[in-house]
Parts: sequence; C-alpha cells; structure tokens
Amino acid sequence: MSNETPKEVALLIKRCPNPQATAYWEEFKVPYYPKMNVVSALMEIQKNPINARGESATPVAWDCNCLEEVCGACTMLINGRVRQACSTLVDMLSQPIRLAPLSKFSLVRDLVVDRQVMFTNLRKVKAWIEIDGTYDMGPGPNISQKVQEQAYELSKCMTCGSCLEVCPNVNSKSKFIGPAAIAQVELMNSHPIGAQQKEARLQALMGEGGIAECGNAQNCVKACPKNIPLTRSIARLNRATTVQGLKNWLNR
Amino acid sequence: MNRKVIVVGGGLAGLMSTIQLAERGQKVDLFSLVPCKRSHSVCAQGGINAAVNTKGEGDSTWEHFDDTIYGGDFLANQPPVKAMIEAAPKIIYLMDRMGVTFNRTPEGFLDVRRLGGAKYSRTVFAGATTGQQLIYALDEQVRRYEDAGLVQRYEEWEFLSLVLDNEGRCRGITVQSLTSLEIEAFAADAVILATGGPGMIFGRSTNSTINTGFAAASAFMQGATYANGEFIQIHPSAIPGRDKLRLMSESIRGEGGRVWVYKDGKPWYFLEEWYPAYGNMVPRDIATRAIFKVCVDLKLGIGGENKVYLDISHLDPHEIDRKLAGVVDIYEKFVGDDPRKVPMQTFPAVHYSMGGLWVDYDQMTNIPGLFAAGECEYQYHGANRLGGNSLVAAIYAGMVAGPKALEYVKGLAKSHSDLPVGLFDEAKAKEEAKKTAIFALQGKENPYRLHQELGNWMLENVTIVRYNDRLRKTDEKIQELMERYQNIGVGSGAAWGNQVVPFTRRLWGMLTLARVITLGALRRDESRGAHYKPDFPERDDENWLKTTKAEYSANDILFSYEPVDISYIKPRKRRYDVAKEVTMQNEQ
Amino acid sequence: MIGTFFWRRLHSLSGIIPIGVFLAEHMFINSLALKGKSSFNQGVALLHSIPYLFAVELVVIFLPLLFHAFYGLWLVYLTKNNVLPYTYFRNWLFYLQRVTALITLLFVGWHVWVLRFSSGLTAGNAFSVVAHALHSPAVMVLYIIGLLATFGHFTNGLWSFLVTWGITVGERAQRVAAYVCIVVFLVFTVVGLNALGAFI
Repeated sequence: MSNETPKEVALLIKRCPNPQATAYWEEFKVPYYPKMNVVSALMEIQKNPINARGESATPVAWDCNCLEEVCGACTMLINGRVRQACSTLVDMLSQPIRLAPLSKFSLVRDLVVDRQVMFTNLRKVKAWIEIDGTYDMGPGPNISQKVQEQAYELSKCMTCGSCLEVCPNVNSKSKFIGPAAIAQVELMNSHPIGAQQKEARLQALMGEGGIAECGNAQNCVKACPKNIPLTRSIARLNRATTVQGLKNWLNR
Repeated sequence: MNRKVIVVGGGLAGLMSTIQLAERGQKVDLFSLVPCKRSHSVCAQGGINAAVNTKGEGDSTWEHFDDTIYGGDFLANQPPVKAMIEAAPKIIYLMDRMGVTFNRTPEGFLDVRRLGGAKYSRTVFAGATTGQQLIYALDEQVRRYEDAGLVQRYEEWEFLSLVLDNEGRCRGITVQSLTSLEIEAFAADAVILATGGPGMIFGRSTNSTINTGFAAASAFMQGATYANGEFIQIHPSAIPGRDKLRLMSESIRGEGGRVWVYKDGKPWYFLEEWYPAYGNMVPRDIATRAIFKVCVDLKLGIGGENKVYLDISHLDPHEIDRKLAGVVDIYEKFVGDDPRKVPMQTFPAVHYSMGGLWVDYDQMTNIPGLFAAGECEYQYHGANRLGGNSLVAAIYAGMVAGPKALEYVKGLAKSHSDLPVGLFDEAKAKEEAKKTAIFALQGKENPYRLHQELGNWMLENVTIVRYNDRLRKTDEKIQELMERYQNIGVGSGAAWGNQVVPFTRRLWGMLTLARVITLGALRRDESRGAHYKPDFPERDDENWLKTTKAEYSANDILFSYEPVDISYIKPRKRRYDVAKEVTMQNEQ
Repeated sequence: MIGTFFWRRLHSLSGIIPIGVFLAEHMFINSLALKGKSSFNQGVALLHSIPYLFAVELVVIFLPLLFHAFYGLWLVYLTKNNVLPYTYFRNWLFYLQRVTALITLLFVGWHVWVLRFSSGLTAGNAFSVVAHALHSPAVMVLYIIGLLATFGHFTNGLWSFLVTWGITVGERAQRVAAYVCIVVFLVFTVVGLNALGAFI
C-alpha cells in the first residue's frame, strides 16, 4: 500500500465567516491515505490552509471532539446528506466531497452551528429522573433484561441533530422539537422511578411544538447514526398521549 | 452572604460537583468547553467498578481497595482511595436510580463483569458505552437544577486563568466565549476544576481533541502544584487512525477476548502463558509492556508492526451484541471487518493520565479556594489505573469536591462581592493582552504542525519504555518548540468563531505540561506501574515511594517529593503470574 | 386547553371520520351506476330524502372538509420537503401526501362546485347531468387524476392516522398496515374508476 503514490482528495467546503455574511464554496486538495475519514482530511487543511488554487485560505472552522461517533460534535452535511465527519470514510464518497453546515440550526462559522436548541428541548420535556437526592438510599429498582435492552437503545442518543436535520417538519417555520427529545421521554418514562413523572412529560409533549407535529415521514429513524428506534418511540408516545388526552378530557 | 461557586468542566466530575452544590442550595456557574453531553467522559467504555458482589463471588470493598493499591504499584495515598472504594457501591446505586441503563442479570439485578487486575467481577456496565450513559444521567440532573434556577450553564466557554486575590485565594476565573472570542471575568468564592486529562500532548491518543490539559496547565503556571505527571497510562488495545487512536475496551478481554500473535505458524497466547494467574486480565501497564516485548523485542507483531490480535470470534454473537455493543460497532465502522468473525488487530495507545493537579484529601489544590476533581487531579490511581476505576474516581471526586468547596466557602470571612472590582478588571485585561499577542503572531510556523511534532516526540520517547538520554533530548526538543512557538502564524481569520487562536493558546499549555511529564520521568530512576525504564527495571521503594510534585517558577519547573501514605496496606512486590495471595505470603 | 395537539389530532381524525367514511359511501352510490341509470338515480334520491339534508351535509361533510383542507394547507406550508437528498420510501410518501393534498383540494373544490352547486342536479336527472359533465375527454382525464390523488391521499392518510393515534406502534404492525392500506387504495381505485366508466 505504502508504495503507491498517494492520490489526492478534493474537498469543496461551504465557507461563511459569520451568520450575516454570504456563503461561498472553496475547494481544497489534501493528500489521500487509505481508510482516511473526513475529519482527517479537515485536519490536513488545518496543517496546510492553502486552497486548491494555491492561495492561502482562512482556516476552516469545524467541530469535532471524540472522533469515534459518541459525542455527536462533528455532524455536518457531507455530499448533501447528514453524517458524522469522523465515521464517514473518504473511500465511500464521490469527489469533490462537499461539506456544508447543518441547515436546521443557526450558523456560527463555516461548518460550525449552534445546537443549543436541542438541549433546551430536553429541558422542555423534563428529560430527567426526579430522584430525592444523591444521598445513599440503597440499591435502585430491579429492572428486567428486556426493559434494559430497550432503554439502552434510547440512551445512546448523542444529541447530534441528524434526526432534526432530516425531518421535513423541523424548520424555521415550525416549532417542532424533533424526534431526539421525544425518544428521551420514552427512555425516562420506561424507568421505574422516572415513570412517576410520566404524566408531566406527556403533558409537555402535548404542548406547543410537541409530538403532534410529527408528520410520519420517518426520515429520523433512517438517518440516526446510532440506530435508535425513534419512530417506535414516537408511535408509543402517540398512543400514550392519546390516552392522556382522553384522560385530561374525561377524568375532569 | 452572597455565595457563588464556579465549576469548570462538564464531564462526570464537574457535573457531579455541580449536583452536590445545587442539591445543597448553592448557586453554581458551570463552564464547559463543549456542550456537557459531548465531554470526553462519553468515551469511557468498559464500565465502572464497585464491589456490589451480585455474582456471589465473595467480592468485598477490601478486595477492591487492595487490587487498586496493588494495581497502582503503591503510589497512591491510601486513605482517599479507601474512602472512594467504600463509596463505590453507593455511587452505582445512585446512578442506577438516576436511570443509567446498566446491563442486568436474568433476575434483574446489576450485571457485573471482570476487568484487568482483578480476580472478581466487579465492573458494572451499560453495553460498552458506560461513560456515555453515566454522563447523560448526570447531565440530566444538572438540567433539572438549571430548570430550578440553581445552575447557570456556560457551554462553549473556555477557562483561561484563575483570579487570585492578594491573600493568594482563588476568587474567580477568566473565560472566553469560543463563538465570539470575547473574554469575561467571573467572580466566585471557590472554583472547582474538573477539566480532564492531557492526552493531546501525545498527538494522537484515545482522548478527545478537547483533552489538551490546558486548564490544568494554566492553573499550574499560576502556582498550582502538579503531581505524578510522568505516570501516563498506555492502553494495550486501540485501533489506529490518522486522526485518532480509537479505544477497544478492556471489557473485550473481560468478556473472554484473547490476545495472541503467530509464533512458528501457530497462535501464541502470550499473556496466558506469561501470566497464568490472570491471563488476558492483567492490568494495562503489564499487558502493554508484554505487547511491546512481543512486537519490538521478539518482532512477532502482525506484519512486523506493533500490532497483535484481539480475538472474540469464539464468543456467542448475541452476547457480544448485548455486552460489547458500541466498541464492536466502532471497529466495524472504522476498520470494516466484523469482530464477531475475524480477530481484531489492535495496538497500544496513550489513554489516561494518573498524574494531575495535586490535591489534599478534600480535593483542594495548594491554592486556597481552588479544587480539582476527575482526571485533571492525581489522587486515586497511583502509578497505574485499573480499568473501571476512572469513572468511579471522577464521580467520587465530584461528590467530595462539591461539599468540601461549600464548606470552604462558608468559612470565608469575605464574599467575592466584597472584593474590589479592579481585581477582576485586571485579570480580564491580562487575558485580553494575551489574546492580542496571539492574534499578532504572524510567523511561519503552523500551530497544528508544531503540535504534531510535539506529539511524535512524546509518543516516541515518553510512553511505554523510557530512557534517560532520550528523555533529556525530548525536553530539549520541547524547549526548541517553545522557541519556535513565538514564530507561529495564526492566519488572518477574524475573531468570530476563530479556532486557531484558542488552539494556539492551548498549545502553550501542552508544551508546558509536556515538560512536566518528561522531566518527571527523567528524574524518577525506577520502574513503577506505567513508568518503565529498562535501565532501572525494578521498583525502588526506598528512594521513590514518593509523590512527584512539580511547581512552576518563572520559566523553570521545580520538583519536590512527598512520602506516600501507606497506612493500610504494606507495599509488596507486584506480579501477575501468580495469585495475589501468594504475593502476600511472600511478604510474611 | 385546546392547542396544537388537539387540532392536529382532529385533523388526522377528520380525514378518516367523517371524510373517509363519506368517500366510501360516495363510491358506493357511484357504483350504483354500474347497475343502470335508474339505480343510480334511486341512490341519489335516497340521499336526497335524508331529513335536515343541508344541516347533515354541513356538519358531516362541508365543515370537516373545510377544516381538513384549510388546516392541511397550513401544515403543507409548515413543511420543508427534502426528498432529493433523502430518497427514503416514507419520505416520498410524506411528500406525495402534500402533493396529493393540493390536487385533491382543487379537484374536490371543482367537483363540488360543478356537480353540487351549479348543475341543478336532482334525483331525477342525476345520471344524465353527471354523464354530461364527464362528456369531454379532458374532464375525464382530470377526473382520473383527481380520483387517484384522492384515493392515494386518503389511504396514505389512513396509514398515518394509525400511527398518529398510536394504534400501530411496532415496525411490523406499521408494515402490515402499509400493505392493508395499499389494498384499500387498490379497491378504491378499481371501484372508483369502474363507476366513472359507467357514466360514459
């Protein structure tokens, strides 16, 4: 392998210095290495910020952190589709590789966007378990393997924003909180202690921007890099909110 | 009295510190380089140790304590380690109540598995992404306190420096928004640093890119003592990448994975042969040195490289999915082979720093009012950390640091609000000047390439096997890099969203800590835990059963040593070819 | 409190009950044309004999239809479709649901205006009025397009209704429901087009 003359990788990057500026595309060429990922290509640009025309370029801003697809930071549009730059190998892509920032979040610079809204959404749906305190209360509840296995799937959500990016009902016109936060409600509601605040979370989901804004395009479940069964969570909570809605109406 | 505590760092230790403070009604400002959910704690895979004894093996906190001290080659002060180990089961129960999706036994109790350096199954786990699940649970609890108005989060703000009053007490911090690059000073009565490890000093490691150790380095340059810096853990199994060395959890061996290479055309399970008592479950420093010996000395690595097979192809695929989900996926995604069918190829990589900021048993550094918790401090692992102990140490340190910081704050005569505003203005102006100076750097050196050069030198000379002449040369090299640093060019990018300027600042911190690590290693003429010198192959308790303490002075680093508290377990020879009981008898 | 949740669920429901039920009933009456002119006219006569006809029409048909149509337009506006980068099957159906919504709205509006309000249709002349209206081939083609859009919109809406109300939860249940909805679509298409042909 090492005897081969290294090929080049061409990248076309959507540049934008700040949210007010107009975006433009800039091409870069970096050396190719076997099994290299998009992050490695971006790192090459850091070390040599010269564009394809040989001009010195302002260094490209992009997010990354864990580089092993558990932190969610490096999510971006790669050849038009949402992916993590760390787990996307150059070999799988047609060139020039087009990199653009996520389109459903506010831009910071170049490929960096602000995803705070996702954390705000988690707050809206009360995605936490209300324990009495951190003092010693003895062992926690007994939980079956089956319940744990289902909950584990949901607990892998790294708030990367892929599901929001692909959801046609998440956009600047709508208030939809998106699938990620909804699945977290199911996770919290499936825990024996968390279930005690089940109603409060369902009520939150029935509010503005909540679960009813889902239009069943089901892109989320296809795009989720962690294979979280998002549409199953949504459907289960559809049922739970239906029941809750009837209760709200009939039990008064 | 108006009281305020600042926590820097949104990983396990920082979040737990925050929860402890908020639970006691204390308002907290929480600063994190990245959104807390993206902190490096997410990368922890194998699990969290506690002697919960749900397998009827007769495990106890004493066994766990002894394994930890023994595994750490007796360098850790024993009282805080003992307290941590005793708290560990309660921590697991707490995390379980918070909703962490720990794997279960068929009856629904906490499942446990074995990790290296232990004869008992005492690692509780959530698939092979335990750190991720733990930090999410703590993040959720902090969100709850945020909702209640007790916590104010500042995510994507970077810690720059401490604000010290004229008594030398820590009274706040300066921080920078990583979006606008604006600098602010925040006042407080106590500061807890929970800023993680410095793995990026080695260029590529299993660490996240944020783990530059800058916050600890900055505190060090302002007078905080740094302890045991030379103790850097090299994990035996990772997969190489140009951007990162991806960890392949020790739990793979814990669930039955076997390490081998071809010898005379047949698989040779060298760990099982050399260490019959522990086999593949030897601690990390032992496994890593064995792999080094096989690959470098015996030249038996796969394809002549520093690589060995890590094999789980004989295990039940369903069990693999249930217990090793996460790591197996990573291997498949980045390498392309299915570990259920083909043996993995792994090699050692820099993983963890046992050393860090010196703290007392209350987690307070030598600077009054400055506390440290998690990987950025040195307290719990001695010369080598056992797998599964980092998560418990991070959470436990937070459980100590929070309440102790509050205790300290309550004992203060003056509140931060009584201090002159000038103190904070001055600190801010100092950082503004530094920022201007970095923007003014328009030389020829590229900061990322300088970083790569540093990493290559550190990796080559300050990891598994260390020689004094090479360590000396490395220190000279680092000083050369520090000179070339003045000739860096940060480019013409505007301040908004600029990433080169903050990186360049962190690089100075990395260079400084690299010297602490290298010089500490140079001075310690013995072999202990992760620190191994072929020229001094034995542990030397007479001269070196001591904590290394580095202090920053002008442009130099001063070293001193303090004895280790061994009040519970008498040091004995550490060996894994025989059971621990044998080593105890030998001492008697 | 009546909020988005209520209106969204009502929107989903209204497409099935009463609108979907009415659609089925409509196709049934249309099919009477297969048995001859007088059968169809008798069917129309039966409908016209319903007491409080206008009130019933208003409550059971027109108000739900208007609500479903106008709230639906709002939902179409709220969507940002992305079938080009994300060519998943469900995404296409999601997009087509909105396309067929617009076609159905135009078609039904036109159909109701022409045949219900401006043709002077009575029980006596029903068959010939309809046959006259469908006389031109262009109208026929538009009717076929309109009917297919309507049936597609209804049956895909039925699938979506089952998910939205939490009736089909699991992946398998949703898949089976999809097959059932395809069958429903085919039945409507056969019945609807067959009836249409009876007027030629």
